[in-house]
Amino acid sequence: MNILNNLDFGTAIHQLTPQLLQGLVIALEATIFGFLLALVLGVLIAVGRLSGRKFLNGVLVVFLEMIRGTPLLVQLVYMFYVVPLLISLVFQFFIPDYQFRMNPLLSGVLGLGINYGCYMSEVVRSSIVTIHKGQTEAALALGYTHRQTMWSIIIPQATRNSIPVFGNYLIMMIKDTSLLAFITVNELLLRTQAYASQTFLTIESYTLLAVAYLILSLPLSQVVRLLEKRLRKHA
Amino acid sequence: MPEKMIEVIDLHKSFGNQEILKGIDLNVRKGEKVVIIGPSGSGKSTLLRCLNYLEVPTSGAIKIEGKSFLDEQGKYHEKRVAELRTEIGMVFQSFNLFPMMTAIENVMAAQIKIRKKTKEDARKTAELYLDKVGLADRMNHYPSQLSGGQQQRVAIARALAMRPKMMLFDEATSALDPELVGDVLQVIRQLADEGMTMVLVTHEMRFAEEVGDRIIFMDRGVIVEEGSPEDIFVHPQHNRTKTFIQRVLHPESLEGVQ
Ligand SMILES: Nc1ncnc2c1ncn2[C@@H]1O[C@H](COP(=O)(O)OP(=O)(O)O)[C@@H](O)[C@H]1O
Ligand SMILES: [Mg+2]
Repeated sequence: MNILNNLDFGTAIHQLTPQLLQGLVIALEATIFGFLLALVLGVLIAVGRLSGRKFLNGVLVVFLEMIRGTPLLVQLVYMFYVVPLLISLVFQFFIPDYQFRMNPLLSGVLGLGINYGCYMSEVVRSSIVTIHKGQTEAALALGYTHRQTMWSIIIPQATRNSIPVFGNYLIMMIKDTSLLAFITVNELLLRTQAYASQTFLTIESYTLLAVAYLILSLPLSQVVRLLEKRLRKHA
Repeated sequence: MPEKMIEVIDLHKSFGNQEILKGIDLNVRKGEKVVIIGPSGSGKSTLLRCLNYLEVPTSGAIKIEGKSFLDEQGKYHEKRVAELRTEIGMVFQSFNLFPMMTAIENVMAAQIKIRKKTKEDARKTAELYLDKVGLADRMNHYPSQLSGGQQQRVAIARALAMRPKMMLFDEATSALDPELVGDVLQVIRQLADEGMTMVLVTHEMRFAEEVGDRIIFMDRGVIVEEGSPEDIFVHPQHNRTKTFIQRVLHPESLEGVQ
């Protein structure tokens, strides 16, 4: 009963909450930039794969398989520890002893953005191919080129139709920012770990952490569901 | 002699090894209304779509006001094709409005993107044409909020706002509920009265008779017969024409035969 008697949520809430809020700011930063990057990459990869250029498509498929075939955590660690070394290696041909460093948060944003971009490109791609070919013909008949049709008629529709799925990816990405703790980004998990090991308030700390993620993701899920409903009305 | 707006010379079109158009020759003069009729699958849509190069002919030539879609070396340039297409309005059976834009945005989009007009300028033109097709009170509706007939009229306004020199209509009323057909035909009729050069594919024989200067009967990829509405509807020369006219104008008379 010892454990129960020693529970001290009051202290944990008091001391850890400000820490969690600071961590949250960093997690949201990572999510916003990571998601924007994913969005841009997702659309570009989708368009690249549908461009009809065999070589480009081949390169993209290999890249997609590499990303989808390895865990996100491994990709993040790779981005933080290995990529800077590889870049240094290249630069050292020109500048001896050059050391490239990468900010942990930047590595995290790149890692998350590339990983999610690959998954999201499949969503955009299937959305593009299901858009009725009448849309393309109408635009061409008005004098649009194929490129203009793609970017001003097809892509806006495809991304709009993908918004609910994107919303779910956004929520997943917020939760996945906890992985950034492994590359020393001072987000919620890393701060909680530090606090728990100092105070031994293990149950309290990690419970608070879990609750913090819930408070973040539950309302967002509702928003996504609402968006889905509204979009279906105008389909 | 009035100038040639459209000139089709020995047009052939195959899909795979199936020849759909087997040598079409056709001239459309300025202000002329040419109506193409014929059984379904005879190649009417394919011919119409060749006129603005949505389908690239397998052989033969298409000229718009004497200008070819291909360059002097016979090469295809997308820019050139796109530019010529701005002179040719096209209306599809399935409307094909852009669903994420309101009616007026649909009519403005290509004016801004392709004609490089200012937003205000494009909006004025769009209002003019939406008013003309009777939709002044529906400008801010999305396509999903409009009936089929209204959507088709927006599509016509969208094409007209580019100020094309000719219009192509591919069964513009075939996807509509019968009670909505009249409004769309009225808009096309008015356009015809204003002297627009038009090529129409339609199943509305009364309408064809009324607006057509010339009727073309197509079957199995060739023009079987062409002439004035009276020539085709009252005194058809070929058996295939006779059978087709008989079937569409007097379906009841064939019931006993079949
Ligand atoms: N893109 C295409 N690929 C293959 N076959 C086609 C294509 N478009 C039309 N066809 C075929 O060409 C024939 C004529 O079609 P179409 O021009 O649409 O006839 P219509 O408009 O007179 O009904 C049909 O048999 C149709 O299946
Ligand atoms: Mg057809």
